[in-house]
Amino acid sequence: MVLDPDPMHPAVLQSQFIRRPAAIAPFLWLSIAGHALLMTLIVAHGYLARGPTLDLEQKPIRATLVRKGKPRDERLLPRKEELPPPPRESIQNQAATASPPVFDRAVAVPLAATKPSEKKSSRQEGAKDAARRRELMGMWDKASKATKLDELQGQEDGDPLGDSAHQEGERYWGILTAQVRRHYELPKTLSDQERLQLKANVILWIGKAGELVRAELSKSSGNALFDNAVVLATKHASPFSPPPEHLRESLQRVGVELGFSP
Amino acid sequence: MRAAQLAWLVFMVSAFPLPALAQRQYIEISGANFRPLPLAVTFPLTTDEGGQSAALDFDDAFAFDLAAAGLFQVLDRRSFLADKKEGLTSGTIQFARWTDIGADFLVKTQLSTGGSELHCDLRLFSVAAGREELKVTRAVAATERRKLAHLLADELYRHFTGEAGPFSTHLVYARTTPKGKDIWFSDWDGKNAVSVIRGGLNLLPALSPNGIVAYTSYTKRDRPELFANRPGAEPVSIIKTGTLVSGVAFSRDGKRIAWAQASGEGAQLWVADSNGSSARQLTHSVGVLNTSPSWSPDGKRLAFVSTRGGTPQIYLLSSDGSGSPTRLTFQGNYNTTPAWSPRGDLIAFTARDERNAFDLFTVHVETRKISRLTQDQGNNEEPSFSPNGRLVVFSSTRNGRSQLFVMTADGNNQVPLKMEQGDYTTPDWGN
Repeated sequence: MVLDPDPMHPAVLQSQFIRRPAAIAPFLWLSIAGHALLMTLIVAHGYLARGPTLDLEQKPIRATLVRKGKPRDERLLPRKEELPPPPRESIQNQAATASPPVFDRAVAVPLAATKPSEKKSSRQEGAKDAARRRELMGMWDKASKATKLDELQGQEDGDPLGDSAHQEGERYWGILTAQVRRHYELPKTLSDQERLQLKANVILWIGKAGELVRAELSKSSGNALFDNAVVLATKHASPFSPPPEHLRESLQRVGVELGFSP
Repeated sequence: MRAAQLAWLVFMVSAFPLPALAQRQYIEISGANFRPLPLAVTFPLTTDEGGQSAALDFDDAFAFDLAAAGLFQVLDRRSFLADKKEGLTSGTIQFARWTDIGADFLVKTQLSTGGSELHCDLRLFSVAAGREELKVTRAVAATERRKLAHLLADELYRHFTGEAGPFSTHLVYARTTPKGKDIWFSDWDGKNAVSVIRGGLNLLPALSPNGIVAYTSYTKRDRPELFANRPGAEPVSIIKTGTLVSGVAFSRDGKRIAWAQASGEGAQLWVADSNGSSARQLTHSVGVLNTSPSWSPDGKRLAFVSTRGGTPQIYLLSSDGSGSPTRLTFQGNYNTTPAWSPRGDLIAFTARDERNAFDLFTVHVETRKISRLTQDQGNNEEPSFSPNGRLVVFSSTRNGRSQLFVMTADGNNQVPLKMEQGDYTTPDWGN
């Protein structure tokens, strides 16, 4: 005979062995569903309005504007020293010695026969080197005598006010830097000590046509004169050159941060 | 059940990470162009007759100080657009009018008298911010109008640079007369000049930090001696040797002097206490000229001119005589009159170039880098630094007669001093 326990009996109410339906479960599920929905919305927003990933190894750009000019002769560019290619004869000799004939006994090496060919090859090599040296020296001489602006070495699509012959950094950052630096003026009243220590950052948001959307002092130097001067420099430098396609969205939405020091 | 809930949470967090943060490009910019600070200085306001009568002198001295300092671009008053009835307080000022003429800062002053004193209330306003940045009040004896202007210009200078201004300092110099040369003492701008000694031949004055003037004089004896006195006081002989003594220089603390003394066919450097006691010979090179000593700011070294290398060049020597002199200049064959900057980094000197023109240069004591300060404007000689090391006074013949000019230590903003007509040479700048 099985007795049904009285549900209202204190022993039943307090028993740890009887399973009871959890009243909190619906709330838990509701909470999880709510969180899931929230997370989904955040993720969706993140994907829709996503920017480039954060690069923790990023270093400050030191952009240099490439100047306009005739591209430098590649033979005058710095390069790694490489050994000259071996003469054809020695390659043939190497090829010949790659599979040496098998002799039953020792055979004298024909040293005398190889000597003239070695002499000939080194003489030819020397003549070639001398010609190459003369050619290079001639070019060097021409380059060192070039004084006119139109003979400056640079890039054909460079900027007339550029200061570098080589591509360095991204071209747009170089142009932007040059435009701001042209208007970067500080009062002479700044002391020597201040000139060593002052630093301030300004964030610029730049529109698609190069217009300055906003300039904001993101890090103050503590010196009002310096802070005013760097913000003014960015404002006076605008409008900037229209940014290239791949930078437009980033410059308009995220901006670019300029770190100023005297 | 609980395990299932936990698994769900872990799945949600790992499957949907936080949206990626956006990256902002960072560019460093340096190499600014330094320019004088555009400053609008209004004519002084006045509240009474005493103020009105002092206004012209005050304004003349105040405007000259700021214009000659080399740090400010004092804007032409003819360009001012503001209402002349503007008051002294920010509430009465229309800052947009000052922005329109390119002023970064606006200086207003108000003169008034109280008893035997002249008062001045100075206000400095930042035009961009439209607010008052500095408020100073000073009072002096009613007759000292220019002194009041110098005091307030010093306050302004200190506000902007954090350094002491040079406007309340003084000069000594020689003025040529038909019979010889007199020594004079004046404010830094050449005004309020008083004679130190007149009559006869008096040369190469030096001003100590405590206002004593030392000089070589031929007046009292047949042989030149070194004398020292305050302006208006009786000359006191401090070095009596019976031989030519010249080129006296005070150390920065005013406690010691150095000079050159003829010896046979040459001249040797000597040092002593400022009253001439404890004299000691520093150089002993026979037949060589060692002249024109100038003390380093710490008093441990002397810059001087020596012909030991064949031509006059600038050398350095320990002021206690230890060690041997080191040569500082190697360019040119005639480099003289060294003046050591109170900041310690530069020595200004006169050099004669291949066209026999005299011009001023500086040489950096550590790097030996030489910079030209003057060019193609007559002969420019005998530089002397202001006590704060920011300005240089020198004599120049660019306008015919020898006049005194000031310029910044890098050779900019060369301005003639407002002095009576005359020939002025060998200036020395002291407190």
